[in-house]
Amino acid sequence: MMTKAMTHIERCTAALSNEPVDRLPVAPLVMGVQRRLIGSGITYREWCHDPKLFAQGFIEGYKKWGHDMAVGLMDLSVMAGDLGANVRMDLENTPFVDKHIINNPEDYEKLAVPDVKKGRSAVLIEGTKIFSQALKKDIMCAGFVEGPLLALSQTAGAEKLFMDMYTCPSAVHAALKTMTAYDVDMCNGFGTTGCGALCWDYLWGNYSCLGDKEYHEFEAKYAKKLNNLTRKLGMGLAVHNCADMPHLKTQINEYGTILYSMAWYPLNPDSTSASQAIERGHADKCVITGNIDPQLFIRGTEEKMVKVTSDLAHEVKTALCKRGLKSKFCISSGCEVPPDLCTKLENITAMVKTAEKEGAM
Amino acid sequence: MKKEKIFEDMGAAVVSGKADRSKALAETALKEGIEAVEAINEGLVKGMAVIGDRYAAHEVYLPQVLMAANAMYAGLNILLPAIPATQSVDRKKAAVAVVEGDVHDIGKNIVKTMLTAGGFQVFDLGKDVPVDTMVKTAENEKIRVLAMSTLMTPTMDCMKATIDELTEGGYRSKLIVTIGGPPTSPSFAEEIGADHRDANAQDCVNWLKGV
Repeated sequence: MMTKAMTHIERCTAALSNEPVDRLPVAPLVMGVQRRLIGSGITYREWCHDPKLFAQGFIEGYKKWGHDMAVGLMDLSVMAGDLGANVRMDLENTPFVDKHIINNPEDYEKLAVPDVKKGRSAVLIEGTKIFSQALKKDIMCAGFVEGPLLALSQTAGAEKLFMDMYTCPSAVHAALKTMTAYDVDMCNGFGTTGCGALCWDYLWGNYSCLGDKEYHEFEAKYAKKLNNLTRKLGMGLAVHNCADMPHLKTQINEYGTILYSMAWYPLNPDSTSASQAIERGHADKCVITGNIDPQLFIRGTEEKMVKVTSDLAHEVKTALCKRGLKSKFCISSGCEVPPDLCTKLENITAMVKTAEKEGAM
Repeated sequence: MKKEKIFEDMGAAVVSGKADRSKALAETALKEGIEAVEAINEGLVKGMAVIGDRYAAHEVYLPQVLMAANAMYAGLNILLPAIPATQSVDRKKAAVAVVEGDVHDIGKNIVKTMLTAGGFQVFDLGKDVPVDTMVKTAENEKIRVLAMSTLMTPTMDCMKATIDELTEGGYRSKLIVTIGGPPTSPSFAEEIGADHRDANAQDCVNWLKGV
């Protein structure tokens, strides 16, 4: 029997509780691309430096596409930049760190938590507050923050950090304690915004990079403190990991995650597809969200978007039915829809419309 | 010290990521009159191959691979200058680069390591590399393999621009172009006229050795 039409909030709440839904929720990870919807368009640089413009993007995105959830990712150089690393800020490219600040083991110990009321940390928190206040009556709103190991890798350089885990682990742990303290401040900041969930990017929990032992030692133990704080502040715990082989058991079961955003790499036989995530019981524990290839939003046609989205919806519905689940999946992109000027906005529309139609339960 | 024992110890130094030990053994090998190429192939490269296999089998992870690579380069820095020029010319030349606008080079560095271990003479052009630099290096150094990578979407078009410029300059047919990085795909490789795209450095090098 078809469930009566639900509001966005009703649908997301039902999906989280494995209650029947009228259709699967849909939430493309649209962030920077939404700046193009503000007036006649603004630059990426403007968007990521002004909390009002940052928030306005999410508000305009919801007006245009009417998706079920907004996730407030800015980019992955916010924390490193505020710690003092040099961030290259092209006009329309995603900003990235081009000069790290860890040159020797002593530098790890020199890191100090910056004031989250300043810099782009403040823009991110304030911007999340503005869009959450504007949209939370309509859709589920989530803040987005880098986990401690990711933020440290952006600050130190991943290659150096990975080697230093072996050569000077105590220095790395000292830095991770600082990063965790920084994340505590960020988390407390997000706790005042009114967002319903906080999405942590725990990228390095990925079997292409770290085994269980290393991941537990260098992130999980810090992440658990942050996860608990997230819940204590009344926000749902969400995790994003767009790596090819994420540590699903740790990041879903051990963390107590309620929403897990993941990608799929079909050429890697060890990468977990949507139906596999459901078959293996991960959706029993949380809502899985994913996994359309972000590149399709640039290089695909509208027809291709319709087909891929439709195929995913049917794959997921079949797997949910086999597993005896009523919902627990949100159709999304596996990672951020590229903020590139070449991203086809009509492809986002095609994805959302198709998910609304083909995701009907 | 017996030659075989030196090779065995060199391999073990790479596997365990001990750069100082690898360097010392490379120096010992030369003092003992062992040919540098033989020490590279029988010692360092064999150690790196063990790590490559273990990484593919998820028995070791990126930190161990990076430590092993560091140890391999410590040995190579001693042995490579000792290779007579006449032997160097036999090695196929490869250039690796992260394209302009991107500085994420961990994947590129793994490819560089695997290419080196695979017997290629590698020109590391670094990160944020302009199209012109890649094209000029290819032409001037007579590069046979160009491996480009990027982690970011907006910079993917630099790969196409490089291939287009190689084609315009008439050098495209003289080298193999392979690409990598999360946003790339085999269909993107085909679209821009690259020969290959791989998700795994060792698989890529194995493919290159076969063509």
